[in-house]
Amino acid sequence: MDTKDNTNSQQQIGYVVGGSLKENLRVRLTIPAQAIQEGGFVIIEGGEWQFYGLVIDIQLGATDRRFADEQSETRLPQDIARLLHRKTLYTNLEVLPTLMLERGPEPGSPEYQSWIEQIDLGQRPPPSPLPVKTIPPHHVPVRLAGAGDIAEIFGRQGERGNFVIGYTREGGHPVCINLDKLVQRSSGVFGATGTGKSFLTRLVLAGLMQDDNTAVLVFDMHNEYGYDDTASDTGQHVIGLKTKFRSRVNVVGLGQGAQIRGQTPDFNLEIAERDITPEDIELLTRELNLTETTPTTLEALVGSFGRKGWFTAFRKMKSGALIETDGGKKGPAPDSVAAWANSAGVHPMAAEALHSKLGRLFRLPYIVENPASEGIREIVDVLESGQHAMLSFGRHETDLDYLLVSNLLTRHIRQAWEQRTNDFRSKGAQEPRPLVIVVEEAHKLLNREMAAQTTFSTIAREMRKYYVTLMIVDQRPSQIYDEVMSQLGTRISGWLGDDDDIRAVLSGLAGRDVLRGMLARLQPKEEVLLLGWGVRMPLPVRSRRYDKQFWNELQGKSGGKRDEGQILKELGY
Amino acid sequence: MGKIIGHLLRASTTRFVVGCRVSEMESPAFGSLIRVPLLVGTEIYGLIYDMHIDDDGLVRQLVTAEDIDPSVIADNRINRNVPLEISVLAVGYNQDGRIHHLLPTRPPLSLDVIYKCTDEQLREFTTGRFGYFRHILRAKDLPVDELLAAHLRDAHKANAESGNSEWIHVATQELIVLLRDDYPTLMSVLSALSDIQIPREKVT
Repeated sequence: MDTKDNTNSQQQIGYVVGGSLKENLRVRLTIPAQAIQEGGFVIIEGGEWQFYGLVIDIQLGATDRRFADEQSETRLPQDIARLLHRKTLYTNLEVLPTLMLERGPEPGSPEYQSWIEQIDLGQRPPPSPLPVKTIPPHHVPVRLAGAGDIAEIFGRQGERGNFVIGYTREGGHPVCINLDKLVQRSSGVFGATGTGKSFLTRLVLAGLMQDDNTAVLVFDMHNEYGYDDTASDTGQHVIGLKTKFRSRVNVVGLGQGAQIRGQTPDFNLEIAERDITPEDIELLTRELNLTETTPTTLEALVGSFGRKGWFTAFRKMKSGALIETDGGKKGPAPDSVAAWANSAGVHPMAAEALHSKLGRLFRLPYIVENPASEGIREIVDVLESGQHAMLSFGRHETDLDYLLVSNLLTRHIRQAWEQRTNDFRSKGAQEPRPLVIVVEEAHKLLNREMAAQTTFSTIAREMRKYYVTLMIVDQRPSQIYDEVMSQLGTRISGWLGDDDDIRAVLSGLAGRDVLRGMLARLQPKEEVLLLGWGVRMPLPVRSRRYDKQFWNELQGKSGGKRDEGQILKELGY
Repeated sequence: MGKIIGHLLRASTTRFVVGCRVSEMESPAFGSLIRVPLLVGTEIYGLIYDMHIDDDGLVRQLVTAEDIDPSVIADNRINRNVPLEISVLAVGYNQDGRIHHLLPTRPPLSLDVIYKCTDEQLREFTTGRFGYFRHILRAKDLPVDELLAAHLRDAHKANAESGNSEWIHVATQELIVLLRDDYPTLMSVLSALSDIQIPREKVT
């Protein structure tokens, strides 16, 4: 095996002059300061170990402060001033060492040969990047990472499961994320509005769909992922995932006759009244402003009409209907809420209050007694068969719609995947296909108040073992419940301005202070920071463009001509 | 061989004084590199840092007289009893053809002959390394800035003639490195260097 990659012949940019494990490494720059940017991925050739690091600060320094304070170029001839500056003024990089990789003894030496042989014979584990536990010696050279280094850490382009998410800012080398790893834990795509979150999400979803190892369910609040769209800021035509993956992507419209961007969806989702359980209602406690008596009333309803019939029966009851009784007094009509309450031993006022509050649900057009099709079942079947579903909410855009539908659906999905996983583990059935549930505008469903009402927080916390994970897409990560945020494995974040949002994205990660500045100083467009468990080290990248070329590359079409320079660049030259 | 400047008057390991006649005064200059051949195969190098003209009894009387006759002045200068004194800072030695920028193992002896170095010898002494700068910089009582400027001008001329016009830049850079912790000295040295008239080429 050969651990030395010949695509790494990058120019030296400096040498190590100091530092510590706790306080990062200091590198004296030997090239102009502007050639390096914050977040640059550098390699420190530290003898037997190669260190991978991130430039987190660039500092101007002087051997004596007076050399910096004094504008000596005005006092001295230009050539002498230049010589003086060269020897007394300098630029230091602060480098955060993130990983180290064993390189073995000097190549060509007998020790190196025996080291290689030991690895080949399996007596020694092959070198793999490890967390940094030591530091390089003084004066070892530092260079920018080459394509081979990037591939060593982030995976090689073209290998199974690896998806190019972007390119390094300095060298333009492709940076991959591993899709298998991405879906093993919940993930998040963040960024202030207009930073390209939707495009990034489309990229990742296209990658997942092309990889064909994962089923995807998108709660498409703004009806933008399925069909072709027009970009809100540039006005350019944006290709929808349905257009490219056709029958593998099912666009589902909420409610009968829903039209999504003027097109008829693959099927419509209507919710049968019998599918609504008291638990679904209890999850809406805050939204519907339900009281403490609600569980008792719901229990009585189920007791009277059964789990499948209670909702319909309750809907049909009349609130406040009275009839004249034999004694000439007025009493509750037989089909009234109060009559049922009296017979069931429930306080009539509580029952009537609940009936009135559930009125919002009774009036929802997509909740019907007998739907034309089993919409929820169909979605679960689609996902189980490995296809993808995009649930477009159409004109039903209230929090109540999001909460009710997403809760119902995820509850069914959760049951189905738990069942399949248990069958797989105990009966040796087929392994369930990983499912990613994409939640747009996630703060609506996962904020501190709502998180308790939804099953999403459970999914984020526990469903990883049952092959179901979330992909949260949001512009205000600070609004998302901490417990959910801390569970996110891979985080892909565009520019964020708000301190709280930045703090939320970085929650639970090492080196937060360092990454904070990096996140705040990303380009507002087309630059993202990769973070978290799913990537071996944080890295800012220039995100891939979601355009025709992307599709050509993804779907293996030769497509447009690429110039020679670009090909060479991709090869690492 | 280079021109004879004079003969040694007195010496220590680090410095020595050369006595010479007025007629011999024309060739040495402040900052010139001189050499003192000792035994076969050994010579000491030094830089002239001072030239001293002492008075004597006759001069004291003459300066008070009115209208001194030019012939008297000439006579006093040529036939003076007290020699002119040239002070030299030892900066290295040559042993068996190898130049060392160290203090000589022993000082020269009285009446040893002192020569001015030729351009070729100056080049040989200054090429490659600058270890001898430390002797100059250590001599705090001397006008270090002026001495360095004078020496660098001479040495640059000698080196540029042989095509090495970069020498002055490398030497300046070395001085900057040696003096960067001593801001006042460095700035006064660089200021002196700015005053020497050499055609400056662009530093790359």
